[in-house]
Amino acid sequence: MARSKLKSALNNEKGRNFKLERQRRQEKEARKRKEQNKPEGDDESEAEGGVALEEEVKVAPKSNGKAKKEKANGVKATAPAKEAEWETDDSEDEDASDDEEAVPFDLSRLEDSESDVSGDDEEDEEVGETLGAGGEDEDEEDVEDEDEDEDGIAFSDIESLADEDKADIVPYQRLTINNTAALTAALNRIKLPYSKLGFSEHMSLTTDEDVEIADVDDDLNRELAFYKQSLSAVKDARGLLKKEGAPFSRPADYFAEMVKDDEHMGKIKAKLMDEAAGKKASAEARKQRDLKKFGKQVQVAKLQERAKEKRDTLDKISQLKRKRSGADVTATNEEDLFDVALDKSEKPERGRGGEGGNFKRQKKNDKFGFGGKKRYAKSNDAQSSADGKGFSHKKMKGGAAKRPGKARRMNKK
Amino acid sequence: MAAVYKTLSATSGNEKEPGERKNKQRVLILSSRGVTYRHRHLLQDLYSLMPHSRKEAKLDTKTKLYQLNELAELYNCNNVLFFEARKGQDLYAWMSKAPNGPTVKMHLQNLHTMEELNFIGNCLKGSRPVLSFDAQFEKQAHTRLIKELLTQIFGVPKTARKVKPFVDHVMGFTLADGKIWVRVYQINESEPGKKKPVDGEKMDVDSAPKKKGKTDFDVQLVEIGPRFVLTPIVIQESSFGGPIIYENKEFVSPNQIRSDLRRASAGKFNSRTEAARDSKIRRGDLGLLSHGGRKKEKDPLSDSVLFA
Repeated sequence: MARSKLKSALNNEKGRNFKLERQRRQEKEARKRKEQNKPEGDDESEAEGGVALEEEVKVAPKSNGKAKKEKANGVKATAPAKEAEWETDDSEDEDASDDEEAVPFDLSRLEDSESDVSGDDEEDEEVGETLGAGGEDEDEEDVEDEDEDEDGIAFSDIESLADEDKADIVPYQRLTINNTAALTAALNRIKLPYSKLGFSEHMSLTTDEDVEIADVDDDLNRELAFYKQSLSAVKDARGLLKKEGAPFSRPADYFAEMVKDDEHMGKIKAKLMDEAAGKKASAEARKQRDLKKFGKQVQVAKLQERAKEKRDTLDKISQLKRKRSGADVTATNEEDLFDVALDKSEKPERGRGGEGGNFKRQKKNDKFGFGGKKRYAKSNDAQSSADGKGFSHKKMKGGAAKRPGKARRMNKK
Repeated sequence: MAAVYKTLSATSGNEKEPGERKNKQRVLILSSRGVTYRHRHLLQDLYSLMPHSRKEAKLDTKTKLYQLNELAELYNCNNVLFFEARKGQDLYAWMSKAPNGPTVKMHLQNLHTMEELNFIGNCLKGSRPVLSFDAQFEKQAHTRLIKELLTQIFGVPKTARKVKPFVDHVMGFTLADGKIWVRVYQINESEPGKKKPVDGEKMDVDSAPKKKGKTDFDVQLVEIGPRFVLTPIVIQESSFGGPIIYENKEFVSPNQIRSDLRRASAGKFNSRTEAARDSKIRRGDLGLLSHGGRKKEKDPLSDSVLFA
C-alpha cells in the first residue's frame, strides 16, 4: 500500500496524465522502430502476432488474478461431496469485487495490450517477441500487478489521503476470504470422533444458548456472563463424569504440585491482607474525620447552649430579685388592667421602667441604668474581703491542681 | 502419588474396548524472539496448565514458520502453539495442527498473566480442565474450526504423561465482539450444609448466594488466571502455509491503529501550518501585503548594495 500511495502522490504532483502521456510516447517510439526494422512490410503477420499475443494476454491476467479461486477449486476437488461455493460476506461484496476485477482487465486489454506488447523499454519488447508466449505472459502479469497497484486503493487507505486526491482514485474493498467449503473440509479432517469418544476423553462442552453480552466494555456484567457459562459447564460436566465413573473432585488428602506454588500463593495472600488492611485503615480514618467534623459542631452547639442557659438563669435570678423588691407594684400595672393580651415579651421591660413607683426614680433609672450604679460593682468591700470561702492554701503554695485534660473536661460537661 | 492413584484406578477396571479411539494430543509451545516478559509469563502459565505440552526454545526466524512443522515432528507433537511477538509489543498466537492441519493466526491482546492478576484460585498442576464453549462457536465455519483447534490444544487428553486424575479447573471460551475471550476458573466444591469458611466465601461474594437445588454439592468458581482475548485474523489450510481459507476483514492491525493515532495528532500541526501559509498567500494575492507576500527584491541603488 505504501508503494501505491507513493506512486499516487507522485502522479498527483506531476499531474494525472503523466502515465498516459508516457504510454503514448512509448507507443509512438515503438511504432517508428517497427517501421524501421521491418521495411519490407510483414504487416499482416505482425498484426496477427499482435492479436495472438492479445489473446494470450487475455488469458494470462485471468489466471493470475484468480489464482486464489483456482486454489480454492483445487480444495473443492479434494473436498468430497461439497458444493463448490465461494462465499464472501455478502452478495454486494461479491458483486463489487467481480466488477472491480472485471474492469481493470478490460481496461488493460484496451490500453495495455498494444503498449505493453511494445513494451516499457525496447529490450523487453524484443525479448518478448522472440521468446513468445511464456515470456509475454510473465511480462503481462507484472504489468497487471502494477496496474492494480496504481489504479486501486483499499477503502481503509482512502481516509489518509487528501480530499483532492480522493476524486481520482477508484477504491476497492478488501476481499473477505471465507471459503466455507475449505473450512469445513479442514474441520472434518481434524475433528475428533466425538460420537465414539466418551465425554471423559475430550471434556468439552458447548452452551445451549448464546452467551449474550450486551456491552463488552461493561466489565462486571461481561465477567459475570463468562462465569455463568463456565459454571453451567462445570455442573453438566460433573454429572457426565460421574455417570462415566470418572473421578471428579479431589479428595482432601490428595496433595500434589499446584499451578501456583506456595510462594506465589503467599504473595497473593500478603497482597490481599495488605489490601484489607489498607481498606480498614482508610475506613477508620474516614470515620475519625467525620467524627472530628461532627464533634466540632457538637462543641459549638454545646457552648451556645451553655451560654444561653447561663443567660437564662441570670435573667431568672434578676427577675426574682426584682420581684421580691417590688412585688406590690407589679400588681397595679395599668396595662394589665386594660389589655391582658398585650405582648408579654414587652411587659417586663416596661414594667421595669415603671417599677420604681415614683416618677423621679423611673427617670433616674432610665438615665443611669436600672440596676443601680455599675461602678465599683466588682471591687471588694468589707464583707467580701472578710470572706475566706474561696481560699485554698494549696493554691497559695503554687501547687494548684492541673487543668484536667480535654477529654475529661468534655466529659464533665 | 499420582502414579499410585493411576495404578490403583487402573486395577479397578476401566479397560478400554479395543475399538474405542483415544484422544492423543501433544502441543509444542514456543515463542519467537522479541517477546516481552508478560508474553513469556503467559507462555509459562499456559505451559503449567497444559501437562501435554512441550516447551521449546525461542524460534529464531519469523518468516520461515514452516520450520515449526519439523520441530513438531521432532518432538512428536501434533499441535503447535506459537507466540509471535512483533515490535516488542504486539503478540500474535498461531495455533496449528502440525503435519498438515489448518493454521489459525490470531491477535492476542488484553493479556494479564497469573502473576499480575493476584487471583486466589489455584489448581493441581496437570489436572484436566473442562472446556466450556459459547454456543456462538457453532454458528460459522471458521469458528467451528477454531473451536475444534482450541479443544485439541487446550484440552488435556486422558493419557497425557503428567496428568492428574481429577478435574478441578475449567477453561471458558466465549465469543463476544468478534473476539474470543479466555478465562480459567478453579472449581470449588463444598457441601451445602457445611460451607468451607476458608476459601470460597471471601472472594466470591457475588457467586455465593446462588445455590443449586439440583446438585447435592455447591459449586463455586474462583478465577485462576491468566486472562486474554484472541482475535482471529487468518486461517491457512495447511500447517504454517498453504492457501488462505479465511481472512478477517474487520481486523485492524495494531500498527494501523497506532499510525492513525499518530497521524491524528500530527494532523493538527499540519493543518494549522497549511492554513497559515494559505492565508499568507491569499493576502499576498489580494495585495494586502507589500510585494505580494514575497521577499523584497534587492534595490540596486540601496546603500547596502552601493557601499558594500
